[in-house]
Amino acid sequence: MSSAIPKTPFAGWLERSKPILVGLISVASVVTFWELAGAYGDSPLTIILPPPSRFLASVADSGFRIGLGSQAATVYQSIFSTFVRVFAGMGIAFFAAIITGTLLSLSRPASWIFSPLLHLLAPIAPIAWIPTAIILFGLTNVTAIFIVFMGVYFILTLATLAEIQRIPEEFLTVAGNLGANRWQQWVWVVIPAVMPGVFTLLRTNFIAAWMAVLVAEMVGLRDGLGAIIMMGRNLFNNELIMFGMLVIGISGYVVDRVLMLIGRRLLWWRV
Amino acid sequence: MNVSEEMDILSQPPSAPNLLSKHSIFRATNLTVKFARDDRASPIDGLNLSINKSEITCILGASGCGKTTLLKTLGGFILGEPQGGVLFNNRYLNGPIADILMIFQENNLYPWLTVRANVRFGLKFKKNLKDKDQRVKHFLDVVGLTEAASLFPHQLSGGMKQRVAIARALVSDPSVVLLDEPFSALDVSLRRRMQDLMLQLWRDTSKTMVMVTHNIEEAIRVGHRVIVLGDVPARVLIDTSTADATYDDRYSANFLELQKHIETIIY
Repeated sequence: MSSAIPKTPFAGWLERSKPILVGLISVASVVTFWELAGAYGDSPLTIILPPPSRFLASVADSGFRIGLGSQAATVYQSIFSTFVRVFAGMGIAFFAAIITGTLLSLSRPASWIFSPLLHLLAPIAPIAWIPTAIILFGLTNVTAIFIVFMGVYFILTLATLAEIQRIPEEFLTVAGNLGANRWQQWVWVVIPAVMPGVFTLLRTNFIAAWMAVLVAEMVGLRDGLGAIIMMGRNLFNNELIMFGMLVIGISGYVVDRVLMLIGRRLLWWRV
Repeated sequence: MNVSEEMDILSQPPSAPNLLSKHSIFRATNLTVKFARDDRASPIDGLNLSINKSEITCILGASGCGKTTLLKTLGGFILGEPQGGVLFNNRYLNGPIADILMIFQENNLYPWLTVRANVRFGLKFKKNLKDKDQRVKHFLDVVGLTEAASLFPHQLSGGMKQRVAIARALVSDPSVVLLDEPFSALDVSLRRRMQDLMLQLWRDTSKTMVMVTHNIEEAIRVGHRVIVLGDVPARVLIDTSTADATYDDRYSANFLELQKHIETIIY
C-alpha cells in the first residue's frame, strides 16, 4: 500500500510490524540497561530499583502469592479485584451518565438546575472522594466502585449533554416523521447517537479512574494492585514494590486496549 | 384515503368545476410563513398553490426563494398561517404525520443501523402493518440494495444512501413523499440514474411526490409539473405541466424551450 514496488510476503510483514518491532527493541534496551546497572548485589540502585530478574525471581519464589501467612493472595486475585472495581465503576457511570444526560436534555429547566452542579462536581478529583467513601461504605468494594463512579460520572454526563447538541437535526426529524414519539426518539435515536462520543471520553478518563482505585487500595482496601505496593512499603520489600509497579503498568495498558477494542467493535459509528 | 377523496370531491361546489383542485392533495390559500423570533421578511406571504395527487411536482427556484420552507410547510414541519397553513386532503396540518414522509439532502440514515434496519426503522412505530419483513425485502429489491442489506451507511456511496432513504419512505406506504434536493450531492451520471429510479418508482406506486431542486433539467425531466418560485416573499413565476412525453427527451424542442424560458426567468 505504501509503495508501488511488489514485495515478498516477508518484506510486507516486516513493513507492517515495524512500529511493534521498534517498540519491543526500545523496551528491551531499557530492561537490558537496567539489568546491567543493577547486576551488582549491594549497589544502592540494586536495592532501591531491583531489576526484573531479581524482583520476578523473588516473587516467583513465593509462588506469586503476596502477603503474610493465611492472608496471602495470588497476584491474579489482586489483578482481578482491581479490574472488577474499575470496570464496575466505569460501566455503571457510563450508563448512568447517558441516562441522566439524555433525560436532562429533555427538559430545559432541569438542565438549568443541574448543569451548574455538574460543572462544580466534575473537576473534583476522584481521589478526593476517598475519605468520604470510606466513612460511607467502609473498606469494601463498594467504596472502590463509588470512587471510580464519582471520578467519571459527572464528566460523562456533561459529555452526554454536549453530544446531544451535536446530533444532526435530521435524525430526530426523520424519527418524528416516521411516527416515533418523544420517548421512542430518545430510546432509538438519542441514546445510540451519543454512545460513541461518550465512550471515547470514558476511555480518556479511564486513567483518572484507574489511579483512584489504586490510591484507594493503597490507603484502605486490603487487596488489589495498589495494596501490593503498600505491602512492599510496609515490609521494606523493594522487589515487591517493583513487581507491583510492573503489574500495574501492564494491567493498565491491557484495560486501555480492551476499551479500545470495545469502542471499535461495538461503537464504531461516529455521528 | 377513500374517505378523504370523497370529502375532497364533496367539498367542491358542483356548479364550479375546478379541474386542478379536484385532484389536489395539498392546497394552500393565502399561505403565510413567518420565522419565529426573527425580523426578516416572511419567506412566504400570501402564496396560493395546489399540488395534484399521484403526480411528481418539481419546485424550482434560486437559493433563498423559500422553496425548502414551502416543502417543510407541506410536510407540517413548519406551520404557517392561516391555521397551520396547508390543507392536506382537506384538513389543516398541525404537525408532521407519517402519511407525508420527507427525504432530506443528507443525514437521512442512522449510522448505527444496517441498511435493512434503517429501512425497517419506521415500521417499529406502525403497529397494524403486516408482513413487515416481507415489505422491507421487497423495497430493498425495488431500489436494488438487496445485496447491500447488511452494510452500514458509512460503507455506502451517496447514491446508495439516498436509495435507502427512498426505500425507508416507501416501505411504510405514505400518501406523499417530499424530497428536499435529494440528489444534489451526487455526480451527473448517478443523478440521472436516481432520476430514472424515481420515475420507475412513481410508475410502480403512483405516489404523490414533491421534489425541491435547483437543477432545471432534473425538474423538467422528472416532474409532471414544474413550479418555479421567485422573489421574497415567494410567488409562483411559472406553473406548467411537463407530463407530455416530449419532456422526457432532454433534446426535444419542447424540453429545450422550457429550459431556456425558466433560465431567463430565474437568473
